[in-house]
Amino acid sequence: MAYLMIVDDDEDFANAAAMELRDAGHEVAIELRPHSAVESMEKRRPDLVILDVMFPEDISAGFELARTIRHENERLRGIPILMLTAVNQRFPLGFGSADVGGDWLPVAAFLEKPVDLGMLRDKVSALLCKEDADGGDEAF
Amino acid sequence: MPPDPHRKSSYELPLAGDGRPEERVRGRATPYLSESLLLRSAVWFCRLRWIAVVVLLVFGILGLFPTWLPRIGLRAHTEWPFGAAAVLTMANVVFLVNVQRLTRASVSHGAETNLWAQIIVDLLVLTVVVHYMGSLETYVGFAYLFHIVLACIFFPRLWSFLVTAVACVLYVGCVVLEETGVLSVAGIYADATLRDHMDRVPGTSLLNVTWATVTWIVVWYLTSHLSAMVRDRDDELARTNRRLLEAQEAKTQHMLLTTHELKTPFAAVDANVQALLKGYCGPLPREARGVLIRIGIRCRRLAGQIHEMLQLANLQSTDEELLRRVPVDLADVLRWCTAQVRPLAEDRGVVLDENLEPARTVAVNEQMKMLFSNLLSNAIVYSHRGGRVEARCAPVPGDGPTATIEDHGIGIAANKISRIFDAHYRTDEAVWHHQEATGLGLAIVRHVAQTHHIRVRVESEPGVGTKFLLQFPAAEQTAVPAERQEEAEDGLSDDRG
Repeated sequence: MAYLMIVDDDEDFANAAAMELRDAGHEVAIELRPHSAVESMEKRRPDLVILDVMFPEDISAGFELARTIRHENERLRGIPILMLTAVNQRFPLGFGSADVGGDWLPVAAFLEKPVDLGMLRDKVSALLCKEDADGGDEAF
Repeated sequence: MPPDPHRKSSYELPLAGDGRPEERVRGRATPYLSESLLLRSAVWFCRLRWIAVVVLLVFGILGLFPTWLPRIGLRAHTEWPFGAAAVLTMANVVFLVNVQRLTRASVSHGAETNLWAQIIVDLLVLTVVVHYMGSLETYVGFAYLFHIVLACIFFPRLWSFLVTAVACVLYVGCVVLEETGVLSVAGIYADATLRDHMDRVPGTSLLNVTWATVTWIVVWYLTSHLSAMVRDRDDELARTNRRLLEAQEAKTQHMLLTTHELKTPFAAVDANVQALLKGYCGPLPREARGVLIRIGIRCRRLAGQIHEMLQLANLQSTDEELLRRVPVDLADVLRWCTAQVRPLAEDRGVVLDENLEPARTVAVNEQMKMLFSNLLSNAIVYSHRGGRVEARCAPVPGDGPTATIEDHGIGIAANKISRIFDAHYRTDEAVWHHQEATGLGLAIVRHVAQTHHIRVRVESEPGVGTKFLLQFPAAEQTAVPAERQEEAEDGLSDDRG
């Protein structure tokens, strides 16, 4: 069992995803805003963050939060991030799998919305297993 | 201290066109042309000067034979033609070296100075030539017009007027010095009668000088006016181009936001339907479950439709020059695509065959996947249950590779085949056979094929099947940077993971 945090401004989606992940035995917290997410993560460090890209006030707030976790906040560094995005992820606006894990997009994996909840569950399990195998903070 | 977010504040929406520093201020005293264009002009100017040097040398050489020129009524000169040619040669070398230095240094200024120096040197040398050839009795003074016209092209009106004024001053100064006896009257004609007549009748000289200078000023006025009009038109085109680029960028940004706005609520509906069907909110009555399953099916169909619409819109709004073309093996792409559509084929009871040989080309990897995924999924959904779809690719010696997607499905009527690549077009037979489609798949195929110069041939017979034959252009892998090669390899391996 792991402690997961979903950071997504769409509460309906976050709740449905949380149901699936709780069913898989995980403890799930939901944060609707990136700023409150950082505060919450500092209070209790999650084992994995499921992060949306676009937020109402800032269309790239998800990227910013991912960089904060990866580069700027010592206490959060190394938390694996699964990025969920409604943005067409492959072509031609954004990013591809070659970018994942790099400095530009420091996430462990991403899934495109709408997401199959079974696939989300499998992806989370795979990332947590990888995290265990890699030894925590050195996962990247 | 950060400003209080709760303080009273105001904001006025800026009017369209506010704060646009790129708008050109009319009449400003800055060069018309870019630095690189000025440098190219400077080189071109130097090349023209070599012609003048050659003409002077030829004239000087002819002067070395004292009997040749007098035969056609001209005096033989040697000193000043060689002297002028030498000065122009040295100046030209200095100018060219300076241009090379400026080009290598990639500095943002210096070309104007070079051009100014060229014009001033030319005007001075030309005045010497005018003096020795005959300032009043020959038309050589009109050579000043070359520099006036060139200055109108290179510089703003004020600066070109300055060149015109310098030319006028030098010419008038030369004539005045000659007429006042400060300079001895030279001249190219062996018979000095014409000049003597002009010297005896001061009105003739005055008229000639006035006529020449007025002509130069009129030419300057007309040429600089035309040049300014052309430049204004250029500026207008540049501004339009900039606005188009900004609109393109805004369109892409809009597409990004629309994607999010369309998919976000839909993703929430889809996720909640899944949660209900999985029983996370308690057991459901059989009828309710059936309704939810239908909602789920419609959700997936809608997801596919949004995906295709966005793919096509993205393809249409993407600048072709920005696409990342990399070496691609069509066999790898087709293998990846068949893996993606295999569940669909199994679901519809269609057998998917592959006959893939290594077939390398240069293309945008993502677009190749779009192209073949659409062709394959079309072939599958328009096949009959138990049917067979074949995907083949092979290299062609001396040409680009070929790829073929063939089905044995419903086929296309001859009178409809030319329209199948139109967006949203679907034949009645296609709709009857498979309702869940947008009619955008082949429009995407057409766009990708046109972008990559792929020749697509469709052969079809109703009730027998359809074959898409793709002939790729010959690959030019040498034009692809090394990092793109690595990227291509990384891309495929990542995608399989």
